[in-house]
Amino acid sequence: MFDSWKNSKVKEVQYGNLQATAVQAPVIERNNVFSTTAFAFKSLWTGLKITMYYFLRPKTIVTQQYPENRETLKMPERYRHNLKLKYNEEGLHNCTGCKICETHCPNASIIIESTKGEISKKIEVDSYVWRQDSCTFCNICVLVCPFDALEWNPDFESTVYDRRLLVTQLNKYAGPPAKVIGKMDDEKKESQLNANKEKYREKYIGPNIPMNGATLAGVSKLGDSMDKKGGGESNV
Amino acid sequence: MKSLIFIVSLLLISTGLLAEIPQVVTIASIVETHYQNQDIFKTLFFIVLPMIGALTFITVLALTLVYLERKIAAHFQCRLGPMRVGFHGILQPIADAIKLLNKEDLIPKDADKLLHFIAPFIAMVGTVLGMVAIPFAPNIQVIDLDIGLLYLAAVSGIGVFAVLLAGWGSHNKWSLLGAMRAAAQLISYELSITIVLVVVVLFTGSLKLSEIIYQQDSLWWIFKGHIVSVIAFFIFFTASLAELNRTPFDLPEGEAELGAGFHTEYSGMRFSFFFLAEFINMFLACALMTTIFFGGWLPFHIQGLDALNSVMDLLPPLAWFMLKTSTLIFLMMWIRWTFPRLRIDQLMKLEWKFLLPLGLINIVLAAIVVSFKWYFFA
Ligand code: SF4
Ligand code: SF4
Repeated sequence: MFDSWKNSKVKEVQYGNLQATAVQAPVIERNNVFSTTAFAFKSLWTGLKITMYYFLRPKTIVTQQYPENRETLKMPERYRHNLKLKYNEEGLHNCTGCKICETHCPNASIIIESTKGEISKKIEVDSYVWRQDSCTFCNICVLVCPFDALEWNPDFESTVYDRRLLVTQLNKYAGPPAKVIGKMDDEKKESQLNANKEKYREKYIGPNIPMNGATLAGVSKLGDSMDKKGGGESNV
Repeated sequence: MKSLIFIVSLLLISTGLLAEIPQVVTIASIVETHYQNQDIFKTLFFIVLPMIGALTFITVLALTLVYLERKIAAHFQCRLGPMRVGFHGILQPIADAIKLLNKEDLIPKDADKLLHFIAPFIAMVGTVLGMVAIPFAPNIQVIDLDIGLLYLAAVSGIGVFAVLLAGWGSHNKWSLLGAMRAAAQLISYELSITIVLVVVVLFTGSLKLSEIIYQQDSLWWIFKGHIVSVIAFFIFFTASLAELNRTPFDLPEGEAELGAGFHTEYSGMRFSFFFLAEFINMFLACALMTTIFFGGWLPFHIQGLDALNSVMDLLPPLAWFMLKTSTLIFLMMWIRWTFPRLRIDQLMKLEWKFLLPLGLINIVLAAIVVSFKWYFFA
């Protein structure tokens, strides 16, 4: 069906030491009105054939009947909706807290707090905060991460009544990446994972966002500092 | 099953029930008979009944076409289209119509109130007037005018008049631009349509639609007139697309650059009038094409092959008419959802440099073919 571009001329081009193959656009011969007309009709017919191909094959339909097929819904592989850290079987992530993704994010949607760990003696991530409310799903963060720590989760049902709930902490534990923990012996590993237990949160507890006087369970009021006791749960 | 159909058709043929072509009985003639008999109630009845019938028919037809357009467009684009309201969204157009009727009817502050108000009604009047002359079946036709073809050509211009008024009266630059484009488009493409109608008149020697249909009893004009007819049909089809403001010629609407063109400032009921008129106009154009090129309500007949003719007679005339018209409508939809919109200069180039010369050459060809009787079953 779509083989016509393959028939067009292919040219090898050199950019410095880069080899590339360029496809030349087919040249329309405009010799006389008859050949032009014939070409026009031919190309119109090609277009009509393509649309008819899809019209006659209902299997090519990509629409999904969403609320009805909620159980069997199949999202496309590259669908981007929820950023998440990759976890291995042991539940450890790869993020080293290098902040490369934070500097590359065009919308400042990623905020990473990291400290030098006492046990590992390396920089480790305390909280990886991702703001879905300002993210444009440009995928840059996933592409730039040198440790392949991020991926997309196609779970798209994230409707909330307050945008603060879209600010989430991605890491399930505060501490060094899987690679560093993997090198530790069991005892050290235990103490490492226990060390930052109190930082072990999933809900965002960082700087607040104005809410025009409204209150929401699990979200702290503007002005409540995160050091205050209870942090996130202050105004339940 | 096949043998059963065969036996039934053989029986029908042997009885000779369907052998002769039915005579045209128009509603106008019925009314006239009753009027001459001084039967005032029957006269009134046959005036009011077709009115109600026509209104219902136009509404139902428009809603069906809207639904089909959406469904077919969706399937051309690997989508499903409306699926929620009713089985496969079959009640969607009704829901839309109710929504449109309930909407607020806005008139812009600086608009020319009168023109803005009457434009949609003029659009509707144009289509209803066109509907009058269309022969659906030998006994379903309002009036069989002696100058039916001329009348239809004239009436089809009213719709563009409405577009012009709407654009001018809206006090909106996009609307005005759309209206100007519509005018330019109409003036150009009306020429081609008229030239093609001249070809048809050359062949048939009549402007009366029933006469044109009866002449196609031997074979439809598109086959009878071989190359000349095919060129004429092609020109007529392309020009009708342009006159109906359908893609690839939908410049007066041009969603991308003009908002919605001439009906940007319309809402509610009067917007739906434009909407309905657009779809009914499509039906009208296809019905006219059916009538002059594909034998109207006549079944597919070839003179001399009586067996084939009798089999073809099995389908009633109305079904034949609707079948042919809906095929053409499908063709229009297929084209609409395949091709991109032309630029205004390309549009003009197509008309003045291609279709018009082709049409003029075609007239000369037609004159030669007719004078030497080089068409089939002359
Ligand atoms: S996600 Fe990747 S880029 Fe971002 S801080 Fe962690 S390791 Fe660095
Ligand atoms: S997808 Fe783009 S906008 Fe969203 S967090 Fe990543 S880099 Fe920032």
